[in-house]
Amino acid sequence: MFQFEKQAVAENMMSAEIYYQQVVTSSWGSLNTSDEISGIHTVSTRRRGRMSQLIRSHIPPRTERMAVDQDWSSVYPTAAAFKPASVPLPIRMGYPVKGGVPPPKEGNLELIKIPNFLHLTPPAIKKHCAALRDFCTEWPSALDGDEKCEQHFPVEIETVDYVSAGTSIRNPKARIVTLRVKLSNLNLDDHAKKKLIKLVGKRYCKDTDVLTIITDRCPLRRQNYDYGIHLLTVLYHESWKTEAWESEKTEEDMEEYIWENSSSQKNALDTLLQIKATENVSNVTKEELLASEVVRNYRNSVIALKNEGETESNMSQYKESVKKLLNIQALP
Amino acid sequence: MLRSVKGFICRPLKLDHGYALHMAAKDCFSSVVSQDVQTPAEKPRAIFYTNESDPAQHSEQHEGRHYSIPLEEVKAVFPHGLPYRFQQQIKTFQEACVMVRKPALELFTYLKNSNFAHPVVRYVIYGERGTGKTMTLCHVVHFCARQGWLVLHIPDAHLWVKNCKELMQSSYNKERLDQPLQASFWLRNFRTTNEHFLKEIKTQQKYVWGKRDSTEQGRPLGEVVEQGLTRVKNASDAVGVVLKEIKQQCCLGSFRVLVAVDGVNALWGRTTLKKEDKSPVSPEELTLVYNLRKMVMNNWSGGAVVTTLSQTGSLFKPSSAHLPHELLGKEGFDALDPFVPILVPNYTEREFESCYHYYLHCRWLQHEKARTEDGKEELRFLSGCNPWQLERLSAPL
Repeated sequence: MFQFEKQAVAENMMSAEIYYQQVVTSSWGSLNTSDEISGIHTVSTRRRGRMSQLIRSHIPPRTERMAVDQDWSSVYPTAAAFKPASVPLPIRMGYPVKGGVPPPKEGNLELIKIPNFLHLTPPAIKKHCAALRDFCTEWPSALDGDEKCEQHFPVEIETVDYVSAGTSIRNPKARIVTLRVKLSNLNLDDHAKKKLIKLVGKRYCKDTDVLTIITDRCPLRRQNYDYGIHLLTVLYHESWKTEAWESEKTEEDMEEYIWENSSSQKNALDTLLQIKATENVSNVTKEELLASEVVRNYRNSVIALKNEGETESNMSQYKESVKKLLNIQALP
Repeated sequence: MLRSVKGFICRPLKLDHGYALHMAAKDCFSSVVSQDVQTPAEKPRAIFYTNESDPAQHSEQHEGRHYSIPLEEVKAVFPHGLPYRFQQQIKTFQEACVMVRKPALELFTYLKNSNFAHPVVRYVIYGERGTGKTMTLCHVVHFCARQGWLVLHIPDAHLWVKNCKELMQSSYNKERLDQPLQASFWLRNFRTTNEHFLKEIKTQQKYVWGKRDSTEQGRPLGEVVEQGLTRVKNASDAVGVVLKEIKQQCCLGSFRVLVAVDGVNALWGRTTLKKEDKSPVSPEELTLVYNLRKMVMNNWSGGAVVTTLSQTGSLFKPSSAHLPHELLGKEGFDALDPFVPILVPNYTEREFESCYHYYLHCRWLQHEKARTEDGKEELRFLSGCNPWQLERLSAPL
């Protein structure tokens, strides 16, 4: 670069600097003047800024503008976290302060953490069903009651399909198959039913008489379904067979109390025979005794006592039957 | 001021009375429904008290009233049978007052009408805790003692299956175990109750106790009892012999036998005893239990077997269990079947009133509020008309 050009640049730079300084001083100057005029202004604008931020958050929440008969499915159309400002319910959750109440919903992490079903209210589900109706076929008109369904389709199969947004459409839980069947619909005799119940164990519910088989050992649903049906078939056929070792069934294995050949029967018969012997009534056979009414009564009361447990009525019935059996008179 | 002083004085008295009261209460509850049916026109004592001291004469009109047993009779008939708190009550009140109640009256009708040629009938008294089963049993024992029966009273069968300090192998049967202390204790009390019988009953075979001791045939049973008491080692076998002889001979009809067992569920439960190799002892391995089980069977005639089920003192049973099946277990139920179950409930209104007035009369309830109607209602509510509870509540009052 030439000397005079350098000088020119320097001059320009100098002038620019001067100009910049001037600008800066003038701006600072103006600031200073404003400070001087009302020296607190800068501080107060900063404070007011923070306070205005605080005041800005005190806009009333959406809940106060919600009508009672609003459409809730538009507030929570999908599964979403709990938003205290959107849910118009006075919910409290959490461990209460000592002598106080659980914390309110505002800023309550406990409520946000847990899953909520606000998107699955009955009207919302009705809407889902209405939308799905287009993809469904008609329900057969002949099956218009639960009894008819059970009569024609005694075996119920339950499978679950899972839909989620993600990288894969597979869900390992979708392979589980549940089979439910009522034992009264199966053709089982007394021995077969008892054996089946012993074989399945916990899968049988005595109150509802339902056998539930849940299979998930195969990777595919179809395979699990086939396995479940196979299990049912095998159980049915095995329970009809009688093995050689089943004759060794002892009294502890019995499901219910059987009076015949029990110690109670023996005791009663012995006592009665002794009574008859003292009264010199001979030739009374065991069959006659068993068929007599007092013994029938006694047998029924003992069976009721053992099978149903001891209740007031059972005990009094037992007492009456024993009194009749042993000929005890109550009246003086 | 005065009140506090009164309370102060009353307190020590009450402590003594409390025991007695408890026992009285127990007595009141259980079998003793006093027969106080004295004419109501007489002193207020008549409402809850009766003069009829012979249980044989007790009937429905005497229900709810207390009757007293003379103290000499108590010593003779109940050397070991009464509940502990009742014994303390007797000591405090200087009288043994038992309440006449319906279960006992029911048992009396059965016993009076029973046919002694038939096999023995077993009666099982059951009920919740503290309702008076032991007292009912004692009432029945008194009744039979008055009638002249031979009374085999086992006060608490649970004592035979727990806390035994000396367990020896039985000389008679190698597999069984003897309990000399319990056996000798029972023999002593048995002798006190049935002195005159022991002279009359004769042994029917010879018993050899050891190399030098033996009892010949035809000797009075008292000798067997003496043998058991002097040679404590043979006490359990002596008990077995006594039971066997009585069972064999009462079928002949010369005397009646009452087998009264309290806590019969101990015979079929578990024990807390252990053999020397720390293995648990089952009840049938104990000579006493084995012989008693034979006695409770109904293969003999000429008497009655009255038993109670007891949860207090029972082993390995929950405190809410009071029904026969729960306490006896399957084995026990099958062994006692068929039996007549007799339920002993809590106090009825009338019985509660009677017991309350009895306590007032004996000056057991010292608290001034206890005399008021409110106090009575409060006692009724707090105790739930349960005899045992009522007794415990009134003790510190």
